Amino acid sequence: MRRLTLLFLFVAATSRAATSIPPIEYRHRTLPNGLEVYAIQDRSTPTVAIQVWYRVGSKDDPEHRSGFAHLFEHMMFKSTKNMPSEMMDRITEDVGGANNATTLDDATVYYEVVPSNYLETLLWAEGERMGSLDVNEANFKSERDVVKEEYRYRVLAPPYGMLFNVLPADTFVKHPYRRPGIGNIEELDAATLDDVRSFHATYYRPDDAILIVAGDFDSQQLDGWVDRYLGAVPKPSTPMPDVNVPEPPRTEEKRVAEHGANVPLPAVAFTWLTPAASNEDAVPLTVINTLLTEGDSSRLEQKLVRGEIAAEVFSQADLREDLGMFAVGAIMASGHQPVEAEKIIREQIASLASQPIPAAELQKAKNLMLTSELRERETSEGKAFDLGEAIAIDHDANAVNTSLTRLQSLTAEDVQRVAKKYLVDGKPVVITYTDQGEKK
Amino acid sequence: MISALLFAVLMESGSAAAAVQSPPPPAAPRETKVPQPVEKTLANGLRVIVVPKPGIPLVAARLVVKAGAAADPKGRDGLAQLTADVLTKGTTTRTAEQIAQGVEALGATMSANAGWDSSSIDVSVMSSNLEKAMEFVSDVARNATFKQKELDRERARTLDSLQVTLEQPDEIASLVAARLVYGDAPYGHNLAGLPSTLEKIKREDLVKFHRTNYHPDNALLVFAGDVKPESAFTLAQKLFGSWKSGAAGSQPAEKSASDTSKPRVVVIDMPEAGNSAVVIAGRGIRRADADYAKAVVTNMVLGGGYSSRLNQEVRIKRGLSYGATSSFDMRADVGPFIAAAQTKHESAAQLADLMRVEIDRLASTDVPATELVPRKAAVIGSFAFSLETTSGIVNRVAALALYGQPLSDINQYVPRAQAVTAEDVKSFATSHLASKNFNVVIAGNAKEFIEPLKKEFSDVEVISKADLDLTSATLRVRKKKE
Repeated sequence: MRRLTLLFLFVAATSRAATSIPPIEYRHRTLPNGLEVYAIQDRSTPTVAIQVWYRVGSKDDPEHRSGFAHLFEHMMFKSTKNMPSEMMDRITEDVGGANNATTLDDATVYYEVVPSNYLETLLWAEGERMGSLDVNEANFKSERDVVKEEYRYRVLAPPYGMLFNVLPADTFVKHPYRRPGIGNIEELDAATLDDVRSFHATYYRPDDAILIVAGDFDSQQLDGWVDRYLGAVPKPSTPMPDVNVPEPPRTEEKRVAEHGANVPLPAVAFTWLTPAASNEDAVPLTVINTLLTEGDSSRLEQKLVRGEIAAEVFSQADLREDLGMFAVGAIMASGHQPVEAEKIIREQIASLASQPIPAAELQKAKNLMLTSELRERETSEGKAFDLGEAIAIDHDANAVNTSLTRLQSLTAEDVQRVAKKYLVDGKPVVITYTDQGEKK
Repeated sequence: MISALLFAVLMESGSAAAAVQSPPPPAAPRETKVPQPVEKTLANGLRVIVVPKPGIPLVAARLVVKAGAAADPKGRDGLAQLTADVLTKGTTTRTAEQIAQGVEALGATMSANAGWDSSSIDVSVMSSNLEKAMEFVSDVARNATFKQKELDRERARTLDSLQVTLEQPDEIASLVAARLVYGDAPYGHNLAGLPSTLEKIKREDLVKFHRTNYHPDNALLVFAGDVKPESAFTLAQKLFGSWKSGAAGSQPAEKSASDTSKPRVVVIDMPEAGNSAVVIAGRGIRRADADYAKAVVTNMVLGGGYSSRLNQEVRIKRGLSYGATSSFDMRADVGPFIAAAQTKHESAAQLADLMRVEIDRLASTDVPATELVPRKAAVIGSFAFSLETTSGIVNRVAALALYGQPLSDINQYVPRAQAVTAEDVKSFATSHLASKNFNVVIAGNAKEFIEPLKKEFSDVEVISKADLDLTSATLRVRKKKE
């Protein structure tokens, strides 16, 4: 991520939900060079959001180049054939807009919001950097230093930065999801300018990309500009490499002891393997996530935080393209040990699987998810992110709307079945996290 | 004839295939509509402000009480925040669990927090559940019981979270900087308190803070989103109309900031820290200062947004940090100016030096138009963007009301920013941005940067984190006599 601040390293899978949300209406077409184009019109404010989703993410990091997809993302703000470095800032921030990018496990997203009279300029710029990247050694080294600073800032300085950094490595055994997207200093240092050039040639191409434009535009004008500036980018003849590494099912529970610097309170985390985001059980898993830790009345907030055993609880239905990770954990209250939280987390997971949850509790979770989705849809950028995630991660644009219908019709039995299938019958990895001074 | 046709065909395919070498210019801009607040004051003095924004069926609401951490009594640092924390944990008719269950069953979020000059209860809820959610806001604001058990629980949570805060170089540097800028004046303490001050806070302190400050005539109620003004006013009357007026708040706000003391250079030695944090801080301005727009534009040039001077020098040109920023935190009294960045330990002295150079450059040379025009556009753009969400609108409007600014100023933000000139920036920087008046704080592994830092400054104070006492401006734990 180029400049956003996140407390935890793993990015929240957007929760989607139930009643009375107006559907996101989009128009779709595919250009001859393979670029998928989606448009969501909303002319209520004179701004427009532009996003390009490339179907390449941290899971595509080359061998021994952990963190490379993210480092590459930073290079996309440097020069192209016709754009000097940082020109994206000149045509966004300098005219009252904003830009950023984020590297997910499965995709890399470049996004801007600008006053709508700059739409054509931005489409030109996205065509530029899709078509060519012209970076030099000085740019590369300086930006690599920035990424190393980002690593120190996100992973080394915060006391629980290392915990969230190691969760995927402790969760996945074979799949490249096991490598943290931010990488590490050694492998970042090993990257070269040639790696950058070959990564662009391999993955940054129209037939691997999705353009989403949301907000204030004239449809006919938009189509003309997209054809002109992005339709002109040639489709390479080389095939797109794909990650195809099956993750073996877990056969037994595993325990891992992890350590970090300056960790004042010990922590514990459970992770389970889940199916992909496109699986029909994805929605019940996000509901379980809400039931466990969303709001003060959630199960783990009540048992662990109100119960004065933990200082903080967290959970995450981190559903991805190939398969997912469900994580639950707690940072202990002073004087308490991870084993206490471990016991309660196990009990709560077991109770979700042993009987249907009360109807009122299910409705509460649905309402929380619905309201959170309303907040997401307040802006064109939020709507574009929702749609992009449905396309790139769920492989179904329409999931942006159908997952809400699915949520609405979800029953307590669905929740129970899914909790049993993945969290009770599935084997967890249990990670304890303590100060490195306690490492013996 | 044939050659003319051929030429036309070539032209067409040429324009489709060849890259366009320069960016197409912008079209004519469309005017941004600024949402308009309307207001009404109830008989008991509660000022109700509504900003309708139809479209998404969502409302954000905030009840603001005009007393915050600046009103924490001496030695009871953290009282305003702790009062807010316990406020939602029980009323005369509801337990903490019933409140959490009730609010969340509506799909709503409700949180209470203290700022420096105010305390707030925030709600975000789908519009069909607005009235039910506001019932909870009214109940906790008026009928909170502050049970001892709930106080103990929230205090323990705060102490735990402080343990985490105090392991982080950026947090330590900010807390030290506040002490250096304000000494023992109210703005100098940690808003959330410190272990030694939290221990002293008693239930009676919370009850008294609440009784003194949580009154309708010392409060504001702001709504933004899918709600009509008349129905919001009716709702406010129904839920808050019988709230009894009281003596106005406890806060002599203009005394929250002390006079300038001599700037210091302080290193907090944290050998195990993951990076070093640099903070440069001094006195800024009040929110009501006539130079508000100049401060906003000047800061955008220096350290606001990605393309500011600080970020250009530190990140874009040199790769020294993930990002460098600055801000004027404008408050009822003189709030701080803060410039901050993090870096690997060995670069910390260089980073501090670069930041000070950029701060001083504003007063010594004119900002060229090629820089000022885009920085003003960035100010205006981020203002417009903040008005796209219900919570963003509440933030803007509540701040205007809290700091005694006319609500119609929401329409003046853009023209006032536009009117700032290069001379304005230079004269504002001359009076407010001189690095010689600012404190420098670095928290990190001192041995990696202390030598170059000592070359820059003659009087560097190095304090080991174990000896750091944030309760006073001396910053050192008093050693017991042997």
